[in-house]
Amino acid sequence: MKRALDARIDREEIVALKLRSIQARRFILNLGARHRIRLHYGAMTSVVDILTLLYDRWLTLDPARPGWESRDRFVLSKGHAAPALYVTLCQAGFFPASEFDGFRRLGSRLQGHPDRCKTPGVDCTTGSLGQGFPVACGMALSAALERAPWKAYTCISDGECNEGSTWEAALIAANLRLDRLVVLVDVNGKSSYGRMEGRNGVEPLADKWRAFRWRTFECDGHDFVSLSRALAEAETTQKEPAVVLCRTVKGKGIPWAERNDARSNYLLKDAHCAEALASLNAQEEELRRGGS
Amino acid sequence: MEDREDLAVVFGIALEALGRANTDVIVLDSDIADSCQTEGFRRAFPDRSFDLGVAEQSLPTFAAGLALCGKIPICNSFAVFAVTRGLDMIRQSVCYNRANVKIVGHSAGQTMGYTGPSHHTVEDVAALRALPGMAIVTPCDAVELRQMVAAVAAWDGPVYMRLPRVSVPPVHDPSYRFQMGRTDRLAEGHEVTLYASGDVVHLALTTREELAAEGISARVVNVPCLKPLSDEEIVAQGRDTQAAVAIEDHSVHGGLGGAIAEAYARWLRKPLARIGIPDTFTESDDYNRLREKYGISVPAIRRAAAELLKSNR
Repeated sequence: MKRALDARIDREEIVALKLRSIQARRFILNLGARHRIRLHYGAMTSVVDILTLLYDRWLTLDPARPGWESRDRFVLSKGHAAPALYVTLCQAGFFPASEFDGFRRLGSRLQGHPDRCKTPGVDCTTGSLGQGFPVACGMALSAALERAPWKAYTCISDGECNEGSTWEAALIAANLRLDRLVVLVDVNGKSSYGRMEGRNGVEPLADKWRAFRWRTFECDGHDFVSLSRALAEAETTQKEPAVVLCRTVKGKGIPWAERNDARSNYLLKDAHCAEALASLNAQEEELRRGGS
Repeated sequence: MEDREDLAVVFGIALEALGRANTDVIVLDSDIADSCQTEGFRRAFPDRSFDLGVAEQSLPTFAAGLALCGKIPICNSFAVFAVTRGLDMIRQSVCYNRANVKIVGHSAGQTMGYTGPSHHTVEDVAALRALPGMAIVTPCDAVELRQMVAAVAAWDGPVYMRLPRVSVPPVHDPSYRFQMGRTDRLAEGHEVTLYASGDVVHLALTTREELAAEGISARVVNVPCLKPLSDEEIVAQGRDTQAAVAIEDHSVHGGLGGAIAEAYARWLRKPLARIGIPDTFTESDDYNRLREKYGISVPAIRRAAAELLKSNR
C-alpha cells in the first residue's frame, strides 16, 4: 500500500520492515563470506532499506507473473548494488534462495549486475551508470501514453549524479512532464573511490533537482516512516516528475565500515563480517523484545 | 537525372505511412526533425512524437524504456551522433537489454559534405557490427528504402538503419523484395563480384558496364543488410568468381569490406579489394568530390577490379 507509515499506529508493520531489512543485510553478509568475493557492501547496505520498503509494500507487483503488464516498474540504476536487489526479489518471492548457489557463475540467473533477460523481477539491465534512470523515463513515458495505472520507479546514487546523462534525462523528464516517474536518490555521500565532497561533489542536490524543475523531497533513507512519508508525497505530484533524496550511510549495518569511513567495494574480513552479524543479531533480539 | 530520389525525403514519407499502419510506432527526435524529415510524422501523430532536444545520448535510453513496455521507438539523429555519442547506451540499454529499438542514422557517411569530418560518419557500421543482437541495414535506392522502413519495424530486436542524405537513381524495379539477412544480386557476371552497400551501389552497376567494355565480366551484389549477414550469403555470391571488390562510403575497417573479408578469409581465399575511406578523418567538400578523393568512384573501382583479375591470371 502506497501510504505514509505512522510511527505509533503502524508499529507492527514498521517492526516487520526492520526485521526484513536485517534479514536482507544478513543474507548479503553471508553471501560475500560464502563466496569469498569482493562486493559493493557500501552501495548495497545504503540502499537495502529503500529496496525493502519498495518490494515489501510499495510497488504493485505479482512475483508469480514477473512480466505482468500492469505492474509498477523498478530500475536499479546503481546496478553495482545488484545483490541487494536480488535479496529483496528473493524475499518478495520472485525466486528461491537456492538461486544464489551459482551466484555470478556460468549458467546463473544472477549476474554481477542486473540482467533483465536472466533474472525474474528485474525490469531493466543496468551496470553502466547514468542509464537506468533515462530508461525508467522511457517507461514512464510509455505509461503516460497508455494512461496506464502503473508508475516507473528508479533508484540512482549520488555518485551517479556525476554522469552527464543523468542531468540530460532530468531536463527531458521535466520537459515531458513525466508524472508517472519517481526517482529515489541514494545519497550516501560517497562514490566508488570514497567521499565525494571536495573531489567529485554533487551537493547541494536538492537545489539542483529543484532548478531542473523536479518536485523534490528529502528523507532519512534508513527510516521507514521518513521514507514512506516522502514517497507518499512524491506520488501526489502532477505534470512534474518527483525525486526523493534519501540520506543514507554507506556500509550501514557493518560497524567496521561505519567506524572506518570505508569505501564501497571490498572483501570483508571474517572478523568484520562476524562483528556485523552479531550486531544484526542484537538488533533483531531488541526488536523482538519490543524495543525499536 | 530526373528519376533520382532523395532518400531522406523518401524516408519521411515512409515513416508517416508506418505510423498509420502501426500505432505502437513512436518517433524520438533530437532537435533536428527538419534534417531527419520526421516533420510529416510529427504533424500526423503529435501524440507519438517526442523531441528530446540536443540530447543524443538520451535517445537510446529513453527508447529502451519505451521498447521494454511494448512500443516501437524510432530514434532520429545524424548518424555520427546517433551512433558514437550514444554508443555505450546502445550497447548497454538497447542491445544487452534486448530492447526493440530502431535507430536511424541520418546523413550517414560523407553525405554531409561541406559540413565536414565532425559530421561525417565513417565508423558507424564497424562500431555496431560488434554489438550482439544489433541488425544493420542501409538502402541503395527509394524502392528498397520504402520496404526497409516497414521491415525494420517488423524485425524483433534492435536495428540500425544507415541513411545517407543523397539523391540516387533507381536500382530496383517495384517488384523487388527486400529481406533482412539476404544479399541481392543485381547483375550477373562470372569473373569478379562487386559487393556494394548503400547509395554507392549504382556506382558498382556503372563500373560493371565499363568493365564489360574492357572485356571483363562483373557480377554486382547489393548488400542492404550488413547484419545479420551469414557467410553462406557471401559465399553463394562469390564462390564462382575469381575475385571481389567491396564498395562503401565508410571506413575500409570493419564495414562491408570487413564483413566480406571475414567470410572470404575463411571460405573462399580469393583476392579482395576494399574500396572505402582509409584510416583517416575526412575533409569538407562536395560529397562527390570527397568520394573521388578516397577512390569511391567508377574509375577507381574499375582499376581495382581489373588489377585484381590481372594479378590472378
